[in-house]
Amino acid sequence: MQLLSGDARRAVFAPLDDGALRSEAVVRRVGSAIALGLLSDGEQLPSESDLASMLRVSTVTLREALAELRKLGLVETRRGRGGGSFARSREDVLAELADARLAELGSTDLRELGDVHSAVAAAAARLAASRASRTEIARLRDIVDRLASAGSVTGQRRTDGRWYIELAACAQSVRLTMQEMDLHLELGQLPWPPAHAPGLLDVMVAGHRAVVDAIDDRDPARARALTEAHVETRTLWAIELRLQRLGLAAADVRREVS
Amino acid sequence: MTGGADELAGVAAAVSGLVEQVFVTVAGVRGAVLRSVERDGFRAGRWVLPDGVQELLREPGQLAVGLGLVVAPRPEQGLRQRLEWWQVDPGNGELHTLEPDLRPTSLGYYDYTTTEWFDVPRRTGRRHAFGPHVDVHGTGRYVLTFTEPVAAGSGFVGVAGADVPVRRFETHLLRALGALPGPFLLLNEEDRVVLSTAPRFLVGSLLPPGTRLPEAGTGIPGAPWRLVPVRDEHRLVG
Repeated sequence: MQLLSGDARRAVFAPLDDGALRSEAVVRRVGSAIALGLLSDGEQLPSESDLASMLRVSTVTLREALAELRKLGLVETRRGRGGGSFARSREDVLAELADARLAELGSTDLRELGDVHSAVAAAAARLAASRASRTEIARLRDIVDRLASAGSVTGQRRTDGRWYIELAACAQSVRLTMQEMDLHLELGQLPWPPAHAPGLLDVMVAGHRAVVDAIDDRDPARARALTEAHVETRTLWAIELRLQRLGLAAADVRREVS
Repeated sequence: MTGGADELAGVAAAVSGLVEQVFVTVAGVRGAVLRSVERDGFRAGRWVLPDGVQELLREPGQLAVGLGLVVAPRPEQGLRQRLEWWQVDPGNGELHTLEPDLRPTSLGYYDYTTTEWFDVPRRTGRRHAFGPHVDVHGTGRYVLTFTEPVAAGSGFVGVAGADVPVRRFETHLLRALGALPGPFLLLNEEDRVVLSTAPRFLVGSLLPPGTRLPEAGTGIPGAPWRLVPVRDEHRLVG
């Protein structure tokens, strides 16, 4: 198979430098790539040896990961001619995987991730306010409109990701653009807040719209401040969701005990 | 400012020379495409760009690091979005085809039909120099993209084009100029800085609204660009 060479794809198959158990990191990476549509339903994955060398993991680790992905139903392996491993898009499985990830991360991890995202996105917004052309501003508006009307969780995630990546491209910065792609592969491993509280999608849309307005007004300070505030709000959503889950889990345990 | 106008004319000629050099490569791609279409027609599942065209990228003094044909999709004929694009790997210098993500359902969707380097030649029927721009979801590089429409048989079939990294363009031009004339800006049609020899004007930035330039500037033949002299305060010396 020919591997796609878009920059988001490069990020999917970039070497893992995750301190966690390597096979779990592979599972998460593949999961978020499916959640973001970077791997589509039925798409063939590279061969085991190619995948292992791209991700810089041993073939043993990779096989463990593939076995886990098969068990989850996110990968299907067919033998024989035309065989290989194929991605399967399953929103229910992805949601479970995201919940599990949220449970294992601490609030500080979520805060760290949010801090970096805030720094990158706010810098991009500030620069975009003085560097985005009229055409680029129109494209940003178009993305926000599409986010407002996106139906599925994957559609919303993907469009929201495109907002941040396009914002960084409007800043004329290859490095900020790459940073956003990497960040979205991590953020794509976490639950999508509007899936739990649909009203939050409106908050996102309004947040992005306010930023485009600031960019349109050529107001870098406002574009930056609004982006910072919005990303910080989203970090709080993630932390709140995590604490809520912990509370529910504790209640379950209490029920089982009593 | 004595000799300023002459100096600027010299810079404009050098810029124009580089632009024409890139368009010679684009014309090579376009010619190869036309010959191929004439010979074999245009089919959905097969590349039009003949093998060997990518060797243009290895020519001495070549500015472009990518070239090819970007096909105009015609869904009614089963012709989907398609890039027939070669690029030089920045790591090892090998030539590879670009395989961008062309599925609208992906975060990484390369929606090239909405880009100016594709749309302007399609609409106007004329060549275009676009950028600098982050070629997001495509090559992922900061480039200038030079394109020309290709019409064959049934009409517009796509654009032939070449990518030049902004850094490479700058290096070549400054080397060609030798001793620098007074500070100048090369601006594109949206007043974005393509190249600058005044540190306070950064490449890629838009000229701040209300900036007073000493003169309207010199147009660059063959590209929607103009060259403008600027005054700049020195910060490091004097």
